Amino acid sequence: MTTQSKPRAVAELQDFVRGNTLVHARGNGSKSALHPAAADIAIADLSLMRGIVEYQPAEFTLSARAGSPIAELKAALAAEGQYLPFDPLLPERATIGGTVAANLSGSRRYRYGGLRDFILGASVVDGGGRAYTVGGKVVKNAAGFDLSKFLVGSLGQYAIMTELTFKVFPDAPHFSSLRLRYQTLDAALAAIFFLNQSIFELDALDLLPAADGWSLLARLGGGADALPPRLERIRAALQSETAPQAAEEVADTARLWQPLRQLDAAFVAKVVLPPKRIPALERGISGCQRRYSCGGNIAWVATEDIAALDRALAALGLAGLCLQGDCEKPLLGKAPESILSARVKAALDPDGKLV
Amino acid sequence: MKNAHPLLQALEALYPPERLLTRDAQLLTYESDALTAFHSKPAAAVIPISEAEVIETVRLCHQLAVPFVARGSGTSLSGGSLPIADGLLVALNRLNRIKSIDPEQRIAVVEPGVVNLHITHAAAPYGLYYAPDPSSQSICTIGGNIAFNSGGAHCLKYGMTSNHVLGMKVVLADGAVTEFGSDSLDGCGVGPDLIGLFVGSEGLFGIALEITVRLLPQPERYRTLLAAYDDLGKAGDAVSRVVASGMLPGAIEIMDRLAIQAAEAAVQAGYPDAEALLIVELEGEAPQVEAEFAQLQAMMRASGAFELRSARDEAERARIWKGRKGAFSAVGRLSPDYIVQDGVVPRSRLGEALTRIKALKTKHQLEVANVFHAGDGNLHPLILYDGRQPGALEKAEALAGEILALCIKLGGSITGEHGVGMEKRDYMPAMFSEQELDIMQALRRAIDPKEIANRGKMFPSGEAPALQQRGMHPLERQGVISRE
Repeated sequence: MTTQSKPRAVAELQDFVRGNTLVHARGNGSKSALHPAAADIAIADLSLMRGIVEYQPAEFTLSARAGSPIAELKAALAAEGQYLPFDPLLPERATIGGTVAANLSGSRRYRYGGLRDFILGASVVDGGGRAYTVGGKVVKNAAGFDLSKFLVGSLGQYAIMTELTFKVFPDAPHFSSLRLRYQTLDAALAAIFFLNQSIFELDALDLLPAADGWSLLARLGGGADALPPRLERIRAALQSETAPQAAEEVADTARLWQPLRQLDAAFVAKVVLPPKRIPALERGISGCQRRYSCGGNIAWVATEDIAALDRALAALGLAGLCLQGDCEKPLLGKAPESILSARVKAALDPDGKLV
Repeated sequence: MKNAHPLLQALEALYPPERLLTRDAQLLTYESDALTAFHSKPAAAVIPISEAEVIETVRLCHQLAVPFVARGSGTSLSGGSLPIADGLLVALNRLNRIKSIDPEQRIAVVEPGVVNLHITHAAAPYGLYYAPDPSSQSICTIGGNIAFNSGGAHCLKYGMTSNHVLGMKVVLADGAVTEFGSDSLDGCGVGPDLIGLFVGSEGLFGIALEITVRLLPQPERYRTLLAAYDDLGKAGDAVSRVVASGMLPGAIEIMDRLAIQAAEAAVQAGYPDAEALLIVELEGEAPQVEAEFAQLQAMMRASGAFELRSARDEAERARIWKGRKGAFSAVGRLSPDYIVQDGVVPRSRLGEALTRIKALKTKHQLEVANVFHAGDGNLHPLILYDGRQPGALEKAEALAGEILALCIKLGGSITGEHGVGMEKRDYMPAMFSEQELDIMQALRRAIDPKEIANRGKMFPSGEAPALQQRGMHPLERQGVISRE
């Protein structure tokens, strides 16, 4: 039977790590593909280590325990007109620790940057059962090695996060969204490239297949007075420069900007790619449901055949991560870097305890 | 290291004589960086012109256990590029190609010796720029920016160097070559963020060979406001108002009386006679910026500023920034020597920090000029002293140490953007626990078992070279570089 613990305090987690041979950390389990099922792996469930530790709106910083639900953090920030600019991907179900471990930023990452750009520090328990902090708690800090950024995407395999500190920003008070339709992928990509070099500061820019071609969703955020003229300018520029079939304002709902919303298959995966590789990926994964976020820099793909996606990505030299589904090997396609990572593993988890 | 040393023999086979420097006169250039209090002469310097030469050089150093320091333009303010006596200096300035620019995907691929500002120059025709803007950006190199995660006045909104790197190829200290990140805006994306770990590692992990950076579109509109106050505290309070308003300016900077006077004398920026100046710059889409600027002006008026000036055109904006960016070299005119610190305090404790620094300066009977990135609580106190007077440097260092201790006590950091380097390594134990330092050391040794890469930096150690007092760097005296 699998050993499981729900520690409430760091010391309990330390004991648990020290007392087991293989340990896997989890939060709410919102990313089913990332949790190994082997019986010899002890599970550290961090869902009780939750709550905001410190939030100072005037400092633009927020510290929370790793098991805190994203929704709780978002609500506290929204009450002060602030937000997590990397836009955590699964705001309704995920914990902040799991979001960092899997490196899952949402569509709004396009404006200011991803998770790694907003993490400032962390408290961890490493594979040796040692508890310590990495990074800092102020918005700017250049002292020592920045292991807090390294935790982003680390899947809990080097150290288990117990507390995290982020830089936060004031959120825009108002938003407007535009939907543009293009007949071909090339035309839609040309619109992305046009916007990339334009003066328009988009809050988000997503590309998704539509019945008769492609939809490009663009979102602007800002002050109420400036928003209508800004929207009009961008619409006019896109009309004259990129010739869309249609350009209509659509209701700016939270649902519109949840990239996984319409992806429904046995497996859901993240794929990292530059927008110019989208045509190649399209050829490699034909038939899959997908949405391209962040100006086409991240693909969200739903598929019934994860092995085929893995092979397609490997052939294209792209890396992916399966998030949902019953999958043996969540890392897809091109293998992640192994030389420097192995050195870090040797320092933080010499016994190879964390999986 | 004598001429007969096996490393020199091996290097002779790798480099032609004009790129393998061993004579004293040739090595003089590399003795010091922008922290001029430290001097140390390397046994030799090499000037590689290819990635392969860098890799082979590092492998040789590892094999023969000879320490090396990689160096770009030597503008480090923390002594980060100070050579190791009897070690090898690897000058990367000739690896200065911008390999490609892809304006459509907003990325550039560069070599480590590329000058920071040259990326912006190359990107400008496409309406793009490279955002991190250390004051030395006209000469500092990307390789050095990576080692020290360099910042600048405009880091509040878009972050420091680390936030602008998407991919890297590096040679680790033991000669292993590895690549991480990608051409995607998501960088490492899958797997641990190795970019975040490597950037800011102060040259202790190895040498960056090729770097993919992200470019940003040039803002459509800048609006720059200069507000003058009869009290430093009022300027600090004004910053709190801006932050509380929900605006996100591109830069928020403060200068105190001594810094203003120095800047005025040096570059005639036309600053008002004031106890404190606050510079706030908004950037972005014109309709948004204009709306916020009206709000900002009203806020500044209400904050007790006795004079407000807004830059009417690019020339006026440049003049406001010229005074600010030249403030450090200007302060250098007031005094033969100075130490600059770059500790960080939580923004809400800026006022308290400044009051305490004032008290410390009275206690130590030294002049301190303050110029700082108020938006992120990053102080830059300049401690003036005359190195020709016996004991003056020690006194200035004692004051500097107390300021760093103050930053830690207020919940901040000993460095916001200059790095630990040589200068602040003895303060690391005040900021990190013994266990935390042990972990960092273990990590360092896992990557560099022989501890040859930039040995003697970051970690407290007894192998400090002799302190000397030499005044400003020649380039600094000319105003080409400055300590920000």
